[in-house]
Amino acid sequence: MSEEKKKISPSLIISVIIIIVLLAALVYYATLPPKVEVVPTVVVTTVYTTAPRTEERKLEIFHWWTAGGEREAADAMFRALKSKYPDIILVENPVAGGGGVSHRVVLQARLSAGLPPDTWQTLGGAELKAYVDGGFLEPIDDLWEELKYADAIPKPLADMVTVGGHRYTVPLNIHIQNILYYNKKLFDELGLKPPTTIDELLAVAEAIKKAKPNMWPLALGTKEKWEAAFVLDSFILETGGPEYYVKLFKGLVDVKTDPTFRKALERLSELVPYVYPYHAGLTWDESCGLVVSGDAAMVLMGTWAIGYFQSRGWTPGKEFGALTFPQKPERILLGHTDSYGLAKGAPHPNTCKDWLRVVASADLQVPTDVTQGGMFARLDIDPMKFPDPIRQELQTYLRNNPGKLILDQHGSIAPYSFTQAYWDAIAAFFAEPKVDGTISTVASLFETYNVKAEAAWYHWGSV
Amino acid sequence: MKLSITDILFFLVPTIFFTIILYVMVGWTFYISFSDWQGTAPNYNFVGLKWYQLMFKLDRFWVDIRNNIIWLLVGVGPTAIVAIFLAYILELKSTQRFETYIRNLILYPAAMSFLVTGTIWSWMYQPDKGVINTILKWANLGFLTSNFVTDPATANYWLTLIFFWQYLGFSVIILQSSLRTTYLKEMVEAAAVDGASRMRILFNIVIPNIRGGILILISLLLISALKVFDIVYIVTFGGPGYSTDVLALFMFIATFQQHLVAVGAGLGVIIFIMALIIVIPYTIYAFRRWFG
Repeated sequence: MSEEKKKISPSLIISVIIIIVLLAALVYYATLPPKVEVVPTVVVTTVYTTAPRTEERKLEIFHWWTAGGEREAADAMFRALKSKYPDIILVENPVAGGGGVSHRVVLQARLSAGLPPDTWQTLGGAELKAYVDGGFLEPIDDLWEELKYADAIPKPLADMVTVGGHRYTVPLNIHIQNILYYNKKLFDELGLKPPTTIDELLAVAEAIKKAKPNMWPLALGTKEKWEAAFVLDSFILETGGPEYYVKLFKGLVDVKTDPTFRKALERLSELVPYVYPYHAGLTWDESCGLVVSGDAAMVLMGTWAIGYFQSRGWTPGKEFGALTFPQKPERILLGHTDSYGLAKGAPHPNTCKDWLRVVASADLQVPTDVTQGGMFARLDIDPMKFPDPIRQELQTYLRNNPGKLILDQHGSIAPYSFTQAYWDAIAAFFAEPKVDGTISTVASLFETYNVKAEAAWYHWGSV
Repeated sequence: MKLSITDILFFLVPTIFFTIILYVMVGWTFYISFSDWQGTAPNYNFVGLKWYQLMFKLDRFWVDIRNNIIWLLVGVGPTAIVAIFLAYILELKSTQRFETYIRNLILYPAAMSFLVTGTIWSWMYQPDKGVINTILKWANLGFLTSNFVTDPATANYWLTLIFFWQYLGFSVIILQSSLRTTYLKEMVEAAAVDGASRMRILFNIVIPNIRGGILILISLLLISALKVFDIVYIVTFGGPGYSTDVLALFMFIATFQQHLVAVGAGLGVIIFIMALIIVIPYTIYAFRRWFG
């Protein structure tokens, strides 16, 4: 035994070497100067400008449309790309973990490591701005110029993806969030007219409660929190008007003393008794499910709910109706957009630009938006391409009034640090409607997260 | 004792891996919490306590601390106490016939993922269509129905019940292993011959002799309760509002949703400090045993 111990086996030597190499690598990494991430960026950009033709026709793309319904929309996008550029090899979500939040986790890790994909899905507004601030997106003004994209889409939509005068992404849709869906058969049966103001909403809610004591007038699911803020958005819009809405989320309103914000919350607290009370356990689709199952009569949700209702066998205009809410003092569309940009240091920048050209085209937008539930970003697409009367009407309205579109707080005007915390506060309001407490919480959030400075990039109308 | 190269390697390899993967990362998190990393791009500028100050100003942070303490007390206490009684009862002669069945029954939950149990329980807790309330109404016990996790006042306690259900079997197994020593068996038999009651045997003989097992169990449970994330994520996502939020969930939200990476790291540091405090009693016990 002692003989064996003295003899050093080859595997032992190899393991020692591996350990030494590992340690050396660690020491080397620790002694590297900071900001090494910048190095590959510079290298790749030069490669791209000097030798654009040597690039591989490959597109690495991150998106979160992986769930049922949205998956089909993603497939429609990629079919459009393949029919235009059959030679492009698509590498989709190359790291496991898709879907919304986990998508951002993986993407964040890739970006921090200096290994960006060519392009990724991002909302316009604050999320986009976070990527721009981080220096992860390349401005694509020349591409916009080439495509004349600024003339093709509503100006407020272009503003959602414009930071500091530069265009950063190509929007492919618009999601309108302030839409009230209602059970049409029930409204016909009770002889109710769909409400267009807060007063009418409260009156309709009262009438429904009286006629159907087992039914909740308004469905709601606040598990993901943002759903609660949607309802308040509509109330703020009617109470203060569109310019007030923008000012509020740009941090230009002193919430603590502001009478309009207080009034919106007070009116909202009048609605709370009519709202499905166990909202904390439901997600948005489950809350729409309450309308289908007859447990609730109405729900305030974005355009993406149309697809949900249809998947449950409801036909627009027959089983359910929809209208933007509120319609006074004017009919405003609150919305946000899905878009794709070009990564700084993208491995395949030219292929990526071809992809963005496809994203801007009607060939991609028509099949994708019809499937996914958004509105067309391009105004020159015939609204009648939508199969349902709801979006046909909305798209026509948008076409004739492109200036009525506003970036919503969801998408968002204020930075995400604020928005997340704001959602929590409003979701808590639905559980316990305390006006004073909510006002002081929201006021302190505006201050804590420095919204006034962080949201200064966004402009709408004269605000 | 003479150490061979093989011995040293066996010691060195795991040590290095632990050091790199765990402790270097812990140190890194400490550093990030003092940096100015806000937004998507790393920013390693040292700004001291800037983000801690913001964190301490947030109401949500203090709600999280309160909730984590509720989890530590209400989640761990009942689980440990019931587990002690259950483990003891299962060792009694009269229950030997059912022991295997009961042990399997309470051990099954531990074999399931929190994602699965979370989904099952949110289905049972659902107030108007959920299993529990439906059964209660059907049995004419409507007055017993509850809003469960949708009521901000009680939601935390219903969540800890899931923890109790899932960890009970695991706790019983740990205690059973320390109950089944020969010298303890002999002592119990001697006490029984002397005519001591079962309760007396439990409190005067069994519990003092399995102190080590109990301490390990409580330390494990405390750490599991402290880092709880999945149950809350699945069942309430911190809601209603943020009334059931816990530090681990806020850490996730601050880092990846709010893009406040420094705050996320700071919350990680707070969890780390709380974990250190929790394992102190165990460490003292262990040191006394080894060196005392």
